[in-house]
Amino acid sequence: MAERLPTADARVIVQGMTGRAGRTHTLSMRAYGTHIVGGVSPRDEDVGGIPVFRDCARAVAATGAVASVAIVPPLAVLPAILEAIAAGIRTVVTITEGMPIHDAVHAKQAVDAAGARWIGASTPGMAIPGRMKLGFLPDVSLAPGRLGVMAKSGTLSYEVCHRLVQRGLGQSQWVGVGGDPVKGTRFADLLPHFASDPDTDALVIVGEIGGNEEEELAAAMTAQRFAKPVFALIAGQAAREGVTMGHAGALIHGTAGTVDSKTQALRGAGAQVFTRIQDLVDAVAG
Amino acid sequence: MLLEHDAKTLMAEAGLPVPWGVLVRAGDPLPSRAPGVVKAQVPAGGRGKAGGIKVARDLAELRAASDGILGMIIRGHAARSVRIEELVDFAHEAYLSFALDAARAQVTVMMSRHGGVEVEDAATRADLLSETVVLDQEAIAAAAARLAARLPDALAAAVADAARRLVPLFFAHEALLIEVNPLFVRADGSWAIGDAKLAIDENALARRPRLAALVEDHADLYREAALKLEQGFDYVDLDPAGDIGLITTGAGLSMQLVDELTARGCRPYNFCDIRTGQFKGDPTRLILVMERIATGPNIRSVLINFFAGHTHLGEIARLLIQALAAVPQLKAPITARFIGNGLDEALAIIADAGSPIAIETDLERAIDLAIARLEPADG
Repeated sequence: MAERLPTADARVIVQGMTGRAGRTHTLSMRAYGTHIVGGVSPRDEDVGGIPVFRDCARAVAATGAVASVAIVPPLAVLPAILEAIAAGIRTVVTITEGMPIHDAVHAKQAVDAAGARWIGASTPGMAIPGRMKLGFLPDVSLAPGRLGVMAKSGTLSYEVCHRLVQRGLGQSQWVGVGGDPVKGTRFADLLPHFASDPDTDALVIVGEIGGNEEEELAAAMTAQRFAKPVFALIAGQAAREGVTMGHAGALIHGTAGTVDSKTQALRGAGAQVFTRIQDLVDAVAG
Repeated sequence: MLLEHDAKTLMAEAGLPVPWGVLVRAGDPLPSRAPGVVKAQVPAGGRGKAGGIKVARDLAELRAASDGILGMIIRGHAARSVRIEELVDFAHEAYLSFALDAARAQVTVMMSRHGGVEVEDAATRADLLSETVVLDQEAIAAAAARLAARLPDALAAAVADAARRLVPLFFAHEALLIEVNPLFVRADGSWAIGDAKLAIDENALARRPRLAALVEDHADLYREAALKLEQGFDYVDLDPAGDIGLITTGAGLSMQLVDELTARGCRPYNFCDIRTGQFKGDPTRLILVMERIATGPNIRSVLINFFAGHTHLGEIARLLIQALAAVPQLKAPITARFIGNGLDEALAIIADAGSPIAIETDLERAIDLAIARLEPADG
């Protein structure tokens, strides 16, 4: 059983805190309300008064952290995840783009074996709007509300949520699962959380072509008799076979992974599915 | 996905039995060897059905086949090269593959006594053997040995040998897929690689110098991967006759924008995820994309969409003005949708520069305007 999603008061450390991006995101997460209790870096430089530790084990021992945000270069993501899990961290969010896929496979095995949770790779992170964020979901798109959001794409979810917020609809929780083919947390993994979460009235899914995550979600909705309304946007209608557009996971092989396959599966499970942003926003707001 | 020629080159380098063959582009001299087979080099399946594979009995047929296939569009991919290969005698065709199963984060090994197009037939699907195991060299080799033992006697030893020798390549090249179909098996039990697919992970190129060199050497055949390797962002030519050029950031939103424009009857010229967050004060990426768009003969409108989460739009606007000055050949009207940090500063910078860029903060309005600008102005 994988770890539950972290709560708003979770103690959080940042791996790679003293780098340029690490520094920026650490301060912005803290300003948003995230309970940042420490950082990990070989450089003993303080960031806004947050203590720095040489490794995760020391950071966890000193702070009692249960979650980590890793802001490290692509080839350092796997070692960062392994270190965090070994130190007892229960949730790792990795925001770096470009993690090699074989590394992602090894990370997934290690995280599953430890019963922990990994969100990523290549995700803008997650947020409980108004209370905390792990990663860098933009403030302009975040607002407390009652929509549960799961997204493969960062930017597309920013756009969707920005428009929903303009219509007065905020989020209970927002999780970016990332656009890589092998990832720590998939749409279907989060369904039980949103099913039982009393603060979530409906789900917004930002999906895209490639893989079978949307189909898997549809199967889970049916199997678990998921009863809340689900609104899904699927990007990539105009993509052609064998061409990757930015996300390595967004690749069509034959008839698998197409918009049609995902739309049919999700509609069969009771979801409303859209290919244009405004149609989804109007339906949710309607 | 590597081209067949490059996948076979890597397999030959590992000592695997690959038929003799050469890569030929338009204008290159042809080998004076016949008979042979001429194969379109495109990263897609179904080449045979599309007429992209032809057997030539003599040099005249070789010439005709090459001329016919070069430039052919197969499943949306232009055949910019062909592999000309010797014909191989064989008694059987078999199937062998190793594929990363992304959903399970494991590797699926598949084998069949039927090779070629037959492997997909409903009638032979029952003969497709498969096992899914963890990403571990020994586990995969053991699974392959178990599957091979279930093949008919005439094939078992040959397919087992091929599998044993291909497994290390899956790791050496951090493959996502290695497929040999058909695997030619001769009456004496020897074997050769008929067709090969090797899908690589662009994210691994940084630590796989052999693969990076292959992509760089064939930069004309892997334009998108070469650009990503060199510049660090994604760019895809979508439609050479396209009428609207796109300068956009974020993979998902950029892909969605292509959908939204296509649904409204436009023909997007390109896709790009320029990653504004990585500009670091340098307009090079903007200049490269603008230069590329400027070569489109039908470009009549350019749409920029930057949803700035953390990036400062003021800095982006400054770089945009610099890039436009460097690419005067881009004459189509530009519509920019900006939202996020530093919007006011960006508006001021664009206005001060006297730039005719039309700025919108709402994406639907920006799309409408960019489409309206496709229509020729009344004279």
